[in-house]
Amino acid sequence: MNCPYRNEEEMDLLLDYTAGRLDPAGAARLRTHAITCPECDGFLRAQAVVWKALDEFTAPRPTADFNRAVWRKIGTAASESWLTRLAQICRPLVPLTAAAVLIAAGFVYDHKPASLTITVAEAEQIQHTLEDLQMLQNLNVTAAEVPEPLL
Amino acid sequence: MEAAQALDFDAQLMLRVKDGDDDSFRLLLEKHRLPVMRFVYRMVQDQSVSEELGQEVFLRIYRSRANYEPAAKFTTWMFRIASHLALNWLRDGRTERERSFSLDSRSDGEPVREFPGTGFSVEEEMVRRIRLDEIRQAIADLPDKQRAAVLMHKYEEMEYSQIAGAMACSESAVKSLLFRAYETLRARLAHLAGQK
Repeated sequence: MNCPYRNEEEMDLLLDYTAGRLDPAGAARLRTHAITCPECDGFLRAQAVVWKALDEFTAPRPTADFNRAVWRKIGTAASESWLTRLAQICRPLVPLTAAAVLIAAGFVYDHKPASLTITVAEAEQIQHTLEDLQMLQNLNVTAAEVPEPLL
Repeated sequence: MEAAQALDFDAQLMLRVKDGDDDSFRLLLEKHRLPVMRFVYRMVQDQSVSEELGQEVFLRIYRSRANYEPAAKFTTWMFRIASHLALNWLRDGRTERERSFSLDSRSDGEPVREFPGTGFSVEEEMVRRIRLDEIRQAIADLPDKQRAAVLMHKYEEMEYSQIAGAMACSESAVKSLLFRAYETLRARLAHLAGQK
């Protein structure tokens, strides 16, 4: 038996009929058809049972605090997003700050006070001076130790 | 101008929210919190979780206001957010929720508000509670996407195109989900036919 409702294009009409969403003419056609089509008749009866049963599954109403809770969350999200924005603004500054620190360190290194830097020649000169001073000190000690000549 | 007139009222409100009008958001919240809560509750079957997720839906709507474009009906967009959140919650906590819906221990501690006790005998009350638990369990056992499609189709009376928009799939995919879901439910709930 070729049932016009048992194909993919028309199957939703069976659901729409049970849901009461079929136009009056379409509903009348389907009712007439179901009288002579046991398959569709069975489908519609079983679907009606499901439809009625689902009506019994009620849901609770939102609590009295629902709206306030939504606004609280919006407030929290707004302050969080303010901090996030601040962090986003500051993020590009991090590499810039690091670069500035490096530049400053390089500048300080290149501009050390002149007195602190000595050349090799200057170091050798200091070394010689220290040696001369040491020699003179030794001479003084030696002279002091020599006894005066007996006259 | 015509395009603006063709916008549904909710989308117009949302465009005002985009312009900084919080009163319009209050109107949207007041109007849609019930359907959002109903949908999310039936998805997760836990009152405190559905309350949290419902609030999160509106938070996301508010936070998305700057980028809002009325490309679809406002409710389609809203249910897309709601189903996304509910499906994610279900996916993330699947093992935890693989529990039995015992008649003695309701998972959400929900009061028996469906039965206000208006003249039902204890026996009738028991029968009705068993029946309701069977219905809840049948819905809970549907694959998540089938369940979402059924809830939007049955309780929110959304059209196939709207459900497709909310679930980010094609209309034919929605019809396929619905046929499979209702087929399962017809088999599971057939025995309720003779009952009151």
